[in-house]
Amino acid sequence: MNSFKIFFSLLVILVLQGFVSQVVEAQESSELVQYRNFFGIDARLVVWIVSELHLMFAAFVLGVPMFAVTVEIIGVKSGDIRFDNLAREFTKLLSAAFATTAALGGLLSFCLYGMYPGFMRYMTDVFHPIMFVYALLFFAEAFCLYGYYYSWDILKEKGKWFHIFLGIMLNVFGTTLMFLANSWATFMMSPDGIDLETGAVTSLRAAFDNFLWMPVNLHRLIANVAFGGFVVGAYAAVKFMGSKSDDDKAHYDWMGYIGNFIGLAALIPLPFAGYYLGREIYSSSPVMGNIMMGGAFSWTFIIQAILIGMLFIGGNYYLWNGMDRIEGAERYRKYIPFINIIIFFCFAVWLTPHNLPLSGEERALIGEQYHPFSKFFGVMAAKNAVVNLLILSTFFSFLIYRRANKGEIVKFSQHGNSARIALIITAGLTILYLVWYAMGLRGVELEANIKQYISPLILCIAIQIVAIVVTILMTFANKGKAAQILLLFVTVLIAVVYLAYYGFVVMEKANMVLRFLSVTQVSVVISCLIVNAVIDVFLFKNAKEVGKIRWGKIPLRSQYALLLLCVAIVTLMGLMGFIRSGLRMNWHIYGYMQDTSPGAFTPSISYMGLATALVVVLFLALVSFVFWLAGLGEKKKSSSNA
Amino acid sequence: MRKKKHSYSMIWAIFSILIVFGIIKYASPYAFMILLGKDHTMPTPSTLMLWYMILGVLGALVYVSTSDLKWANFLSFMLPGEDDRTKKLLQKIIVLALPLLLGWFVYSGTVPGTASPVELRIQHPTLLQKYENMENPFAHVSEELKEKYTEEGKHLYQQNCRPCHGSKADGNGPFANSFRLRPINFTDPGTIGTVVESFVFWRIMEGGPGLPDGSTPWDSAMPSWEDTLTDEQVWKIIMGEYATAGVVPRQREEAE
Repeated sequence: MNSFKIFFSLLVILVLQGFVSQVVEAQESSELVQYRNFFGIDARLVVWIVSELHLMFAAFVLGVPMFAVTVEIIGVKSGDIRFDNLAREFTKLLSAAFATTAALGGLLSFCLYGMYPGFMRYMTDVFHPIMFVYALLFFAEAFCLYGYYYSWDILKEKGKWFHIFLGIMLNVFGTTLMFLANSWATFMMSPDGIDLETGAVTSLRAAFDNFLWMPVNLHRLIANVAFGGFVVGAYAAVKFMGSKSDDDKAHYDWMGYIGNFIGLAALIPLPFAGYYLGREIYSSSPVMGNIMMGGAFSWTFIIQAILIGMLFIGGNYYLWNGMDRIEGAERYRKYIPFINIIIFFCFAVWLTPHNLPLSGEERALIGEQYHPFSKFFGVMAAKNAVVNLLILSTFFSFLIYRRANKGEIVKFSQHGNSARIALIITAGLTILYLVWYAMGLRGVELEANIKQYISPLILCIAIQIVAIVVTILMTFANKGKAAQILLLFVTVLIAVVYLAYYGFVVMEKANMVLRFLSVTQVSVVISCLIVNAVIDVFLFKNAKEVGKIRWGKIPLRSQYALLLLCVAIVTLMGLMGFIRSGLRMNWHIYGYMQDTSPGAFTPSISYMGLATALVVVLFLALVSFVFWLAGLGEKKKSSSNA
Repeated sequence: MRKKKHSYSMIWAIFSILIVFGIIKYASPYAFMILLGKDHTMPTPSTLMLWYMILGVLGALVYVSTSDLKWANFLSFMLPGEDDRTKKLLQKIIVLALPLLLGWFVYSGTVPGTASPVELRIQHPTLLQKYENMENPFAHVSEELKEKYTEEGKHLYQQNCRPCHGSKADGNGPFANSFRLRPINFTDPGTIGTVVESFVFWRIMEGGPGLPDGSTPWDSAMPSWEDTLTDEQVWKIIMGEYATAGVVPRQREEAE
């Protein structure tokens, strides 16, 4: 008790001393204070930790409602009460995390205004109208969330669709809030609507809708879903491992599967959104782009590659182990070794850096700047190819998982006209997009000697369109499985084999074309994923089941994989947050307002690693605590029932 | 019978890892020598060896644990079982090899040696702000003038840069072999093709001495040319250099 008193007294003295020193410091200076620290701790470090924690909670709070509402709608449509219960459980976690997000947001604002008063004064000058809207929208989001959560039972029988409407509005307000706050962060990276000499605001609209705003919006939107999915997956894994009854085990096994499914489904388009953001960073400032991919931040992208690799491997590993509980899955196990080899090969290429750490002796033995491995694997042409192959392989894992207990299928022609129409609309829209992009490529203004390298890209898109048409016709002729294989094969041939080779050609002859090549690759792969996924839905609709799915009978290893996925995505978000913010180097607002505080240096990789690890541990501890609190009521209920 | 067949999965896993090791350590240096027409092998750097082997081991472990049966079969190899002489012999080899391998790792990691430190290079040091928005003054002249300046640039390149970077801009100048870090091969599309012209302008003007602290350790022997050449000469050299190497600089995109 005495030691506690001594500790408490010391703490009070320390805090008071901090306050006094701040006051004295402020009084001594007759000028406006630009920077303060947090009781001796570097302001940048404090803001770094608080903002990352706020963003992680916010990602969860924004990501989860998207799939909570989706799951609820599936529940209504299918009439399966399990979906409704699952959506409710998601929302329970959501409402528990919501208050923490708001508290962290408040703390972040006070930290920023307290420690960076000069910079925040300017940001307030520019964005004050939007800040008011932000605060008002927060009310709307809070009302929708509480309305959604607490009206679950009241609106269960009558007014279910109104309940869903509340959920949709929760998403609308939440996403708008994020978009508003994103504009402040991206304004700092690519300022617009101000005079870069004087700082005078020339257009609030341009400052808000700055160059990197939409790419960051898109990237964060998808990343939030992946983040929410994997965090929910880990929650389910912990609950699964602690469950005593078979029913609970079955429920949490299923919840973990849904979490992993959502996480992986969002992870698949994430590299494309990331590429779009990266490309726009290059467009906004080629120097910032070079700092990111080839300069001070290049090594952080190797860490990113490792984390993304872990996510893909972990996600696939979970699916493969999940096949253990599906009767009939043994028919598809023969594909696993091949997918495994492909995924690890892709991972190896994906993380090979262009510049390797070499000793002097190794450099002398190699005799040139680059070892062939890094020369060929370390550049975008190879990396784009393997990331697309990684995505296609994971998609293939999904396909075999889905059909693991399915036997004889119903002929496509027996599904009737609605199936045909759905397929025609899907293929039509996909082809329309491909045609639109190909037309755009034709119209690109480039010098004649460079433009000639665009034609093969248009040809690739044309071949993909033909492949899609043939695939659809084959599906109509009841050869859906073969059609899926054909489309996958053509896609791999174009997006992975040919465009990887062609990537090296254009890198040498016309690197301007590389950016169009990457988008072509993405478009071809996405078109294959969409068309094949829709075919798959109809192909196995009402198919005979050769066995049951024994929910709850999954190996424990898979649950550890879910925990690993959660740690990996949290670390990834921490790391990418640092990169996005750190790219400004010593600028508060890139090219206009310099950061002259002592903490403006670009951190070393080890410093960054320690700070990010601290953020990850803090977030996981906090989120575990919040989830534990959310479960207290449930425990009480079950004990009183007993 | 089936279980017996699968109970050798541990051996197959070890065998697969050894194959990966063989390919990276022994096959690829010779393969690259032949494919790239070199007169010497291209040994795989130790960092890559480590990374690829970790992935190899991880890949094998992932595969053998994709189902309960596979995992049980994998582990069961080390358990006493039927009287199978081959299995017993292999068990003994594994029991002996594992501590020996670990011992070798510990020994090779701690034995005093004279190897030079591994350097973490940064490919594109951070460009100073004053160069960020700098533009080639000859970017918007007529095509005729552009050609003229490019030709002048090629001459200036041959006069000043050829000794190190080579007449074909391939990094094989007469002095190239005397540098520990060889001069950059500009024909490699991963070099000057990935940066904007103002980046090259900065590197020529300030050379190795002008690199920021954050870029160390760096052993670039590139001299600083700002006291020898005029700005115009440097821009012409840049045009000539790209033309000689047959690559184009990264283009700025207009912000929409």
